[in-house]
Amino acid sequence: MTASAVTGGPTVSPAGGLELPRSASVGLEGVTKRYGDATAVDSLTLEITAGEFLVLLGPSGCGKTTALRLVAGLEEPTAGLIRIDGEVVNELDAKDRDVAMVFQSYALYPHLNVRRNIEFPLRARHVAAEERDRLVAEVSASLRIGDLLDRRPAQISGGQRQRVALARAIVRRPRVFLMDEPLSNLDAQLRTEMRAELVELHERLGTTILYVTHDQVEAMTMGDRIAILYRGVLQQVGVPQEVHDRPANAFVAGFIGSPPMNILRGELAATGIADGLQVVLPGGAVPLPEPLAAVARRRGLTSLIVGVRPEHVAVDPAGTLSGSVTMVEALGHENHVACRLEGGKLIMVRLATGEPVPRPGERVTLSFPGGRLQLFDPVTEERLDG
Amino acid sequence: MADRVPVSAPVSGDRTPGRPAGPGRFGRLGRSLREAVLGYLFILPALAVFAVFVFYPLVKTVILGFYRTPPFPNLPSRFVGLSQYRSVISSTAFLESLWRTVLFVVFTVPIGLVLGLGLAVLANQRLGGIQIFRTIFSSTVATSVAVASVIFYTLLNPEVGLFSYWLGHQGGAGILNNPTLALPAVSVVTIWQNLGFTFILMSAALQGVPDELLEAARIDGSSQWHRFWRVTLPLLSPTVFFAVVVGTIGAFQAFGQIDLLTQGGPNNHTDVLIYYLYQQAFLFNDTGVAAVLSVVLFVILLILTFVQFRFFERRVFYGR
Repeated sequence: MTASAVTGGPTVSPAGGLELPRSASVGLEGVTKRYGDATAVDSLTLEITAGEFLVLLGPSGCGKTTALRLVAGLEEPTAGLIRIDGEVVNELDAKDRDVAMVFQSYALYPHLNVRRNIEFPLRARHVAAEERDRLVAEVSASLRIGDLLDRRPAQISGGQRQRVALARAIVRRPRVFLMDEPLSNLDAQLRTEMRAELVELHERLGTTILYVTHDQVEAMTMGDRIAILYRGVLQQVGVPQEVHDRPANAFVAGFIGSPPMNILRGELAATGIADGLQVVLPGGAVPLPEPLAAVARRRGLTSLIVGVRPEHVAVDPAGTLSGSVTMVEALGHENHVACRLEGGKLIMVRLATGEPVPRPGERVTLSFPGGRLQLFDPVTEERLDG
Repeated sequence: MADRVPVSAPVSGDRTPGRPAGPGRFGRLGRSLREAVLGYLFILPALAVFAVFVFYPLVKTVILGFYRTPPFPNLPSRFVGLSQYRSVISSTAFLESLWRTVLFVVFTVPIGLVLGLGLAVLANQRLGGIQIFRTIFSSTVATSVAVASVIFYTLLNPEVGLFSYWLGHQGGAGILNNPTLALPAVSVVTIWQNLGFTFILMSAALQGVPDELLEAARIDGSSQWHRFWRVTLPLLSPTVFFAVVVGTIGAFQAFGQIDLLTQGGPNNHTDVLIYYLYQQAFLFNDTGVAAVLSVVLFVILLILTFVQFRFFERRVFYGR
């Protein structure tokens, strides 16, 4: 009965709707978007399964927002196919794609109060007043904004606006949520809170979420999978742990983690012991442990890129890499030490509390205990695996 | 003034224990007084200009209305009090003129607004060469009333005018001499002349509507029509309101096109209030009646603008 009240829009369950899972898969197949000579998105192929929380991660200008807008129907692809629920939607107008979007600026209608803002998608779809009231009451209660319904967006706080924007997206139960850096205008504490709330919301609604951010912490903590974009090209897709542990290339390695992985270029040299290899880096040489040395030998490399996570670098009097401390960041639970190697390259060291912390200006030697390094091709910067 | 500061300083700086510190009552009063004086000094130049060119003439005009102009020059004018106001307001000539003015305003303001807004919406699209259209649409703003009138005078000429030819009014007296068509014709000239200004106003306002809001509405399932009515127009409302108020006042004061095209004719059919006033003042030299008409026009516009603010401003959204 209630479903018939909705014309041309999503069906709403008689039970109340909010708990009913409703989601669709999203597929991009060789999607390219060019603006004149500039390529914003370069043949992007990506499959997002129904109900998945996928994070599009990348630095600003990498094409992630363009990708999102392509799915929303706000931009037309230059080439390639976009599918929602298996159906090609290239020719479908944004208003008919049954997706909801949360904008970075929230894009609330400033002339309408909170109630009318949340109702907007329902009114646009001619949902009956009674049904509208019920849905607004329900969604505003679940997002704890029920007492703000009569206020204008200008009269509420940033965090509240964020909730209103979410409510407006949720209220009509779309097949897919598109979120464009929704948390970037919030202060740090609120952002952490909202991260947890969004994850919870996703679990409750089960709707597919395509989430754009440049914040790798958001990506790591929220996404089922992360897709990393750089200069319009997809670099890697994978679950957070996989992206963190086995970055596909030097860019991903240097982007993920806080602080991110140290990326150092070095020359390969023989150690003189058996056929052992060492990497000559700006501040000194470090031995290459055997499985990695074998990889380098097999490929006949003379130089390579070494990646090492800050937590896998130690301040070690017996270390072979020398530099001077430029800065120490005390975070309470750990300390970040920035060292400048002799060649001018900065390397970050993450020290747990309890470990002795050098002072800025102090000369130190570093080592890579356990040799937990990642190797990347010096030309293609692709990951080198055994 | 400055030498008063050291005198009052020990008073306000008196920090006897048990007394709240900070400036004393006296010091604060002195400061707000100084600020007030300074404020009035700043508005004094503008006030002087207004007094000489607006307030004094206004008062003088009201007074002039109390005196009946003598039938021959050099005779003294006679004080008649409000009776001249009464007789002018109740005269058929005035009422007919007022009615024509109302018709003229009703013809020009809404149509001009809708056309200007429509063109602005059309020209607000991202299309190659749209600048050319924007320039054309706004060009009438650089056209004076005289130029517009001459152009249309030619177009409406019964012998050679293109419009007369199209409308089947060749030969004869012509459209401008047709009692039913003269006022609409003058209105069309006025609409055309004002179109550029309205277009520029509306275009500027449209640029101020954030793309993101329209995109959000699109994704929310809103059709183009729905977006225009529910998002664009509410955000344009301050400009629309401004255009209506200014346009109404402008239409009540339209003079040039009437003087150049019809001189109030044929048979007074385009004799709007301001033209009637002009005739009284400068053709019949009846300054008394002209003064009354000026005051009445002023009061009408005052009331009308008040009503517009009172009833329509509620629906205006000023943002933030």
